[in-house]
Amino acid sequence: MSIREWLALCAFLSAVVFGLAGLVGMFRFHDPFSRMQAGGLCGTTAVFSTCIGALILAPNTAIAARIVVIMAFFLVSAPTGSYIVARFTWQTGISAGEESAKPKRLPHHKETT
Amino acid sequence: MAMSTLLLHYMQWFLVFCIVVCVVRLLLGPSAADRLVALNILSGVTLAFLVVRGVSQQRVLYLDVALVYDIFGFLGFLAIARFLKDTSSEEEH
Repeated sequence: MSIREWLALCAFLSAVVFGLAGLVGMFRFHDPFSRMQAGGLCGTTAVFSTCIGALILAPNTAIAARIVVIMAFFLVSAPTGSYIVARFTWQTGISAGEESAKPKRLPHHKETT
Repeated sequence: MAMSTLLLHYMQWFLVFCIVVCVVRLLLGPSAADRLVALNILSGVTLAFLVVRGVSQQRVLYLDVALVYDIFGFLGFLAIARFLKDTSSEEEH
């Protein structure tokens, strides 16, 4: 095994650990905010680690450059997507620590009026 | 089989497993917020799968598709969240 393969193995292993943790968190937690925290954080780390591993194993510069562009865009789009979900969940009327099946709090726009 | 090929091969299977689990969460729900969380993660995992597939097959086409998928997936996600918010506020009025 060359040093590139060892580095890629480390990146892929961390992706597997974070990915599994995110998936378990998505099923074990009860409210959407906790699910989003587990899934979003671990999902972003897993995908980013996978991209780093793929970047290390990239056979030529054309592929490596595209992976860098994809990683840059993903770093912007993934947290923004999580923010949109969080705002939507908050406006739906679900509070943190509350199960998603039974929202009790009033929607945000009604509180302001 | 070379070690890098093996690594990429197993990583693809792991990402397929992640995609299946995310789809299960997407179908189970129970609320729209849970489905949106699953959809957000599903989009990222599919992107990672396309990247690993592109490196494994040594084809640039997969990476172009991955980039466009990420951009349009994000726009579609924005539209879905907006639509669901408008629908839920219309139902309350």
